[in-house]
Amino acid sequence: MLKTRIIPCLDVIKNKVVKGVNFKNIRVMGNAVEMAKYYSLSGADELCMLDINASYQNRKTFIKTVESIAKVINIPLTVGGGVSDLSDITDLLNAGADKVSINSAAVRNPKLIRQASLRHGSQCIVVAIDGKRHKDKMKVVIKGGREITKNELIAWAKKVQSLGAGEILMTSMDTDGVQNGFDSNMLKKVTSNVSIPVIASGGVGSLEHFYLGHLTKSTGLLAASVFHSRKYKIKTVKKYLSSKGVPVRL
Amino acid sequence: MKKKVIGLIDGQSGNIGSINKAIKDIIKGRPYQLKIIKSHFNYKSFDKIILPGQGAYATLMSNLKKLKIIQPLKKYLENNSSYLGICVGMQILSDWGYEEKTTRGLGIISGDIKKFINKKLIIPHMGWNTVNLKKDDTIIANSFDKKDFYFVHSYIFQNIKKSDVLAFTLYGQKFPSIVKKGNIYGVQFHPEKSHKHGLNLIKNYILKS
Repeated sequence: MLKTRIIPCLDVIKNKVVKGVNFKNIRVMGNAVEMAKYYSLSGADELCMLDINASYQNRKTFIKTVESIAKVINIPLTVGGGVSDLSDITDLLNAGADKVSINSAAVRNPKLIRQASLRHGSQCIVVAIDGKRHKDKMKVVIKGGREITKNELIAWAKKVQSLGAGEILMTSMDTDGVQNGFDSNMLKKVTSNVSIPVIASGGVGSLEHFYLGHLTKSTGLLAASVFHSRKYKIKTVKKYLSSKGVPVRL
Repeated sequence: MKKKVIGLIDGQSGNIGSINKAIKDIIKGRPYQLKIIKSHFNYKSFDKIILPGQGAYATLMSNLKKLKIIQPLKKYLENNSSYLGICVGMQILSDWGYEEKTTRGLGIISGDIKKFINKKLIIPHMGWNTVNLKKDDTIIANSFDKKDFYFVHSYIFQNIKKSDVLAFTLYGQKFPSIVKKGNIYGVQFHPEKSHKHGLNLIKNYILKS
């Protein structure tokens, strides 16, 4: 039976894992390579890392960090943040990423999804979608939720699938960072409208939230703070899910 | 003592970085050497060949053709020499692939590569799933019965002879997750991404087979 994946997410600047709400009060949580190694050893099913400040200068260090991480883990690695064209995707795959996540570049230029999946295969192209409710509709947002696009969420999710995305990383900006749980309603809408895997992201604060995330039919559950703060170990989450009858890799 | 030569084929189908590193770690301090195969090669000068692959069947076959690897690889396999195909590197052992377009495979293990039948499944089959051994295999597989490995694929080996299936996995249906014919192995999952069990499988293949 296919297991539900538990995926720690590292928000990275250069080589440091950071935490900050909307780029304010950024706190360093640790060294990215050390943390990646720790999660790989302690039972993470995959690892996600995002360059949250992809400026030209920071980028070189970030790519080196991807290379170092790829060398010390042997679970799949998804890398995103600041991916704007095909050459960025190639650079990250060459650095050792297994999957590359595209977000606003896909919104600006949806053809990029098709080009990337034709060149590298759908299995390594993840489209990250940030969703937010706006005037009773679910919309796609970019720039950390500050810019609402014209795309309706469900139509966009279907479109990225048809363009060749292998997976959707779905973050609700309505629940992200608040630790009140995943956006079950938004996630269910997405999972029931696409047939590719969906990773739930945004809002985990308790063990039960992971279980509720599983109930949305998301096959991957992503979390950051609860792991970085050592509130939960990955094993703790998996044992809990297993006790609720959710298939996990123990 | 003569070193055994392991060939790692770079079919330009996904990243060979992790498998390359895994092999290097395993053979460190042991009588093996690793050579990357990127073009025509002398099939008699390799003791083992590993071919990892991601992406489409047709793409890998056409890459191998362009690189002039098909002919020596076929000879190598027809000789029943030791081989480990990973994911698409396993799939191309079949007669035909039906991903994107119909493509002739290497024809070493009879069968076809077709999409999962169940329309309700989430595709690709992505994540950790259990390998169920059907037969004894003291070389690579015995210690991995009921263990989880990392899969990512939409196509599976079908119309395969039962005798060529070493292990199966369940995802909407049973499908072969390890195939074996003589000294030729194929795994549908990615051992190089499957943490310790994956690394041990590669280790077994290199050191025991």
